[in-house]
Amino acid sequence: MSLIKLRGLEKTYQQGKIAVPALRGIDLEIESGEFTTIFGPSGSGKTTLLNMIGCLDKSTAGEIIFDEHSINDLNNKELAEVRRYNLGFIFQSYNLIPVLTAFENVEFAIRLIEKHSKKERRDRVMSLLEEVGLGEMANRRPNELSGGQKQRVAIARALIKEPKLVLADEPTANLDSETSQEVLELMKEMNRESNTTFIFSTHDPQVMDYARRLIEIKDGKITNDQRRD
Amino acid sequence: MKFLMNIAFKNMFRNKLRTIVSILAIAFAVMVIVFTRGLIDGMVADTYELYIHYDTGHIKIIDEEYAQKERLLSLNYTVNGIGDKSLTEMQSDLEELQGIEMVIPRLKFGAAVSTEEELVQMLAWGVNSEKELAFTNLARELSQGRMVEAGNREVVMGTRLLEKINRSVGEKVTMVYTTAFSSFQGATFEIVGEITSNLPLLNEDVVFMPIDTARQLLYLEEESTELLLVGENRDQAETYLPAVQNYLEQNGGEKYLAQSWRGGSSFIQLLEVSETIYNFVYLFLVLLASIVVINTLVMIVKERTQEIGMMSALGLKSSEIMQLFILEGTAMALIGSLAGAIGGGIINYYLAGVGFDYSAAFQDVDILMNPIIYPTSKVEHMLFGFAIGVVVTTITAIIPARRAAKLEPTEALREI
Repeated sequence: MSLIKLRGLEKTYQQGKIAVPALRGIDLEIESGEFTTIFGPSGSGKTTLLNMIGCLDKSTAGEIIFDEHSINDLNNKELAEVRRYNLGFIFQSYNLIPVLTAFENVEFAIRLIEKHSKKERRDRVMSLLEEVGLGEMANRRPNELSGGQKQRVAIARALIKEPKLVLADEPTANLDSETSQEVLELMKEMNRESNTTFIFSTHDPQVMDYARRLIEIKDGKITNDQRRD
Repeated sequence: MKFLMNIAFKNMFRNKLRTIVSILAIAFAVMVIVFTRGLIDGMVADTYELYIHYDTGHIKIIDEEYAQKERLLSLNYTVNGIGDKSLTEMQSDLEELQGIEMVIPRLKFGAAVSTEEELVQMLAWGVNSEKELAFTNLARELSQGRMVEAGNREVVMGTRLLEKINRSVGEKVTMVYTTAFSSFQGATFEIVGEITSNLPLLNEDVVFMPIDTARQLLYLEEESTELLLVGENRDQAETYLPAVQNYLEQNGGEKYLAQSWRGGSSFIQLLEVSETIYNFVYLFLVLLASIVVINTLVMIVKERTQEIGMMSALGLKSSEIMQLFILEGTAMALIGSLAGAIGGGIINYYLAGVGFDYSAAFQDVDILMNPIIYPTSKVEHMLFGFAIGVVVTTITAIIPARRAAKLEPTEALREI
């Protein structure tokens, strides 16, 4: 079953009087449980495409269907609801809240949902932090963690609400190759265990090696789409 | 909401110096407000009391003509009864009116004492001692001797006035005055008491004598230049006034004017206007302090743009992002206002005992005002300062918070 369907998706940014096309008619379907990488040179439209799929931006033309619901006509508040309940994000620069501990950063995402008791919340956060290997560091603040550890907290934060889709924008860009490999292993494991759909944007060949589907994008168009077993 | 509060509180410690400066700005403004309010309240309450005691009573009845020429101290327009009733009967009737507890007659006229060097002018007040002692604070101000007694040719005057005429308690003094028939006469009195007061009126202007003695010397019948009506509570004066006016109207007292203490003195009216103006000054002060908070929050929004983008990506709505920044501003407002309210309260508590000496400024000023002002130390002032600090700062925090809430998530995430 398709989790995401994009039909003739276009996005044009207006820079003064000049219209700059970022996406020029994207047609794409992504199934539940896929581990997909979108790659391409800088300025090719990777991040724009990820933002569209992540309900962070609105398209100029075309249609986005998420989990069989069109999101084209949703307002900002409704888009925030979609993100809150269905999507997890992992950023290149981690974007953890510096005044919160690792535990609180992960808890932050689940508190927005408000369907768990305090104890349930605590158990889920701790169990996930242990899964990402940070059980002992739950009370540390981001400035007391290494880059790899911060990204693991970000992964736990993205997964805590059991989203249908996790979007990761260049998640290994700030990590060394050994840490990148650990982080990618972790995400792949999470993908296998929970069947969560992962979509990455990257330049990193190491990331591409892990992906089961590779989508190449150039000048706002998909130029290559290949699946690997 | 609770977790947003938690984050907002923790965020305050991200740049401690900036937060402290913002809190100090609010604390200082609130402290000045609490102190100023205490000072104004102390001054106004004291001044109202003085005007009521020595000028207006709660309600004052005078002849309308006298009102036009009050400064001349004319004896031609006295309160001398109503219709066929004598002044005593009129007083009894007024005391029967609802809310009126006491009616005090005063007979004011000009007098002078000649010393070797100069002619010292003074205000002579013929008074009913018992009523004056019950109503005013004269008993406390009498530093020597006693108050005058009915039927005697005796006077009480202030320390400064005694110095001017070079006399002291126990000695005699001859005063000259103009009678109701405009004849110039003199009489000798025994000085039986001395008043020591901060109030220039009591210290150097007024000489008290029994009202019956004054009437006899001035060739007046049972008359006074004014009647002061005293009720249970000064704030109820306006409520009692219609009954008094009605009494005067129905008994042929059209020539009399009855005024409540609020309407009786232009200085009191001026003070009332000042109180309203000061409320705007307080608001302005807090607004000034709020600019520091706005500036801090604008910087914070700029610094945390990417974080705002992340929160938005996680599903935080614009209204929740706005709440987060308003809460941070409110937390600073709460701490600053609390510190300021306590600081202002401590200053007022100290100054309420020591007082603020304005004597130099009040020299030769013709207003009834105690030259030493004692600020009032009331929890009410602290609550007022605290509330205005929190409310105004929180409202102004909306401006930068709206900026944060309006950020597009993709724009915010791109910001580094």
